[in-house]
Amino acid sequence: MKYDLVIIGAGPAGMCAAIQAASNGARVALVDENPVPGGKLRGQVYKEPKSDWWIGEKIVRSMESKIKQLGVTCFLEREVWGIYPKWKVMLNNGEQLESDFVLIATGAAEKAIPIPGWTTPGVMAIGAAQVLANIQRVKPGNRVAIIGIDALSLTIAYDLKMAGVNVVGIYLPPLNAFSLEKSNPLKMIAYLSSLSHLAPNPMLKLLGKLGQIESVQKLGVNYYPPFGMKVWGIPLHLRKAVVEIIGNEAVEEIVVAAVDQNGQLGRKQEKRIPVDCACISGGLYPLVELANAAGCESVYIEELGGHIPLYNEELETTQSGIFVAGNSTGIEGAKVAMAQGELVGTVISIRLGFVEGGPELIKKAKEKVNLERENAVIKFHPGLENGRAKLERLSRIRE
Amino acid sequence: MRIKKHPILESLERKEVQITYNGKSYLAFEGETIAAALLANQIRILRYTEKGKAPRGIYCGIGHCYECRVTVDDERSVRACITRVKDQMKIISQGIDADEI
Amino acid sequence: MIICRCEEVLLRDIITSIENGAETLKAIKMETRAGMGICQGRTCRVLLEQAIAPYTDITIQETNNIMYKNPVRPISLANLSRSGKDSSQ
Repeated sequence: MKYDLVIIGAGPAGMCAAIQAASNGARVALVDENPVPGGKLRGQVYKEPKSDWWIGEKIVRSMESKIKQLGVTCFLEREVWGIYPKWKVMLNNGEQLESDFVLIATGAAEKAIPIPGWTTPGVMAIGAAQVLANIQRVKPGNRVAIIGIDALSLTIAYDLKMAGVNVVGIYLPPLNAFSLEKSNPLKMIAYLSSLSHLAPNPMLKLLGKLGQIESVQKLGVNYYPPFGMKVWGIPLHLRKAVVEIIGNEAVEEIVVAAVDQNGQLGRKQEKRIPVDCACISGGLYPLVELANAAGCESVYIEELGGHIPLYNEELETTQSGIFVAGNSTGIEGAKVAMAQGELVGTVISIRLGFVEGGPELIKKAKEKVNLERENAVIKFHPGLENGRAKLERLSRIRE
Repeated sequence: MRIKKHPILESLERKEVQITYNGKSYLAFEGETIAAALLANQIRILRYTEKGKAPRGIYCGIGHCYECRVTVDDERSVRACITRVKDQMKIISQGIDADEI
Repeated sequence: MIICRCEEVLLRDIITSIENGAETLKAIKMETRAGMGICQGRTCRVLLEQAIAPYTDITIQETNNIMYKNPVRPISLANLSRSGKDSSQ
C-alpha cells in the first residue's frame, strides 16, 4: 500500500506529525509497537510552573481522537525492522508500507548502569517505574530505591511518591566505567545547579545556586548531611552509592557505601537496606538504528544524548525523504517533540503540494520548536545549547 | 500493589478479566499489560535465562530489552510489558518453568 | 557482573576479549556474543562502547560509522518470507 507519509513511532512527535499532515490532506500511516498510541507521553504527570498540571494521558487521548477523525491508518503492535529504498517500511508481520516520505520518531532508550545484581527481578530502568505507576497504576515496589540523580529520576521519584510508594532514597551509582560523572558528588552538585529552576525544595535551590561556583561545590559536598537531604520527603544522597543489589528470586536489599567527594568508595561503612525494587537511571539516548540501517549519516553529540542522525533545519536526514522528530533528534521534552512533529508534518505537506505559502508556514513551525525549547521545564542536558550549535554547524558543512 | 487512588490522575474504570500464569489463575484488568497484571499479583519472575537459568523480570518496561518475554497462548517470546491481557489468556514463563509444564 | 543481559556475558569476558586483542565493537561481539542477543544491543551497546574506551585510541565518534543492519528487530523467518507482499493484499 502506498501512503503520502509513513510515520514510525506514535509518541508525541509522531502523533503531531500525523495530525498536521493528515489535516492538510495527506494519506498517513502511523506505526507503533505498542497496543495504544502515545509513547512515553502517556506516563507524564507534572505541575507546570505557572499553570496547571500537565497530564500526558489526557493530551494523548485528544490527539488520538483527532487521528481517528482525520482517517490516519494506524498499525499498532507492529515492529518496523527495516527501511529500504525508496522508501519501503518493513513490518514484522511481513507487511510493507510504501511512501516517498518517512518520519522516524522512535524516541529514546535508557542507558543502563550495570551494578552487581542488576539482572535480579525487581531491578528496573527508571522509566519502567513511571510506566507502571502512572499508566498501569501498579506500584513498581512497596519500598523503592532510586539509583542515579538526574531530571528524569527526580521527576519519577515524585511520581512514585504521589502513587503512594515509599521511596527509601535516591542514591549515586557506584564509580565504574559505566557510571562516570553520575557517580561523582561534585559533578552531581554542579548538575543539580543546572536544574535549580525545577526547585524541588528550597535547600536544593540554594545548593543549586551555590553549586554554580566551583569552590562552593566542594564545600557543598563536604557539608552535605550524611543522612541526605530530603526532596519532597525523599532522602537525596550525594555521598552514598548503591554498590550491590541482593536477592535470589527478587530484590531483597541494596548495599549502600559512603563515597568521598570524587565518588571513590569508602572501605568500610557498608550498610544493607531492605527494598523490593531498585530503579536505575542512567539517562536517555536516541534510538538511531532504523535511520542508520537506512543509510542516514550519523554524528556523535554528547549533549544531545550520543549518536544521532545528521539532520537539517527541516529535520530531514541525509537520505532524502527520511525525516526525524522527537527524541530521535536528541534528548528533549515532549513539547519540543510535538512542535518538531508539526514542523515535519508541515514540510512534507508542502513538498506534496497540499498547501501553499510554504516558506512562511515553515518559518512559523520552526519558531514554535524554538519557543518550546526556550520554555522547557526540564532540560535533560545542561549543555543542550552547545550540542544544538554543534549539530547545526555539522549540518551546514554537510550541505 | 495496585494504586487505587491517585491525587492527580483520574481513577480507571476497567473490567475484570481472568488470566492464567504457569497454570494458576489470576485476576487482571482489561487494558493493562501482562507485566503489570502479574506484578499486581506479586509476580516478578517472568522467565529464566537460557544459559544460567537465572530469573528475570521487567527491566525497560517499554519493549526495548525483551527481558520480559513470555509464551502467550502458544506464541513464544511475547513482550509482557507492551502486550495487553485478554480474558482467558494463557501465559507461561520461558526457561525452566516452561520446560516443566 | 553481567553486561549483556540477553547473552549473559560478564564484564570479565569482555575485558578478557579486549586483552586478547579485540579492538573493535565488532570483534568483541564476535568473540563474546555480547550485543548479539534478542534485543540486538539496545541495552548493552553503549556499555560495550564504554568498556572498550580505556583500551583504545578509537573515539566513540569514530566507532560510530555504526553498523546497524536490517533487520533491526527480531522477525520470524515465516514473516520475513512474506515480506514484499503489499499490505493491501
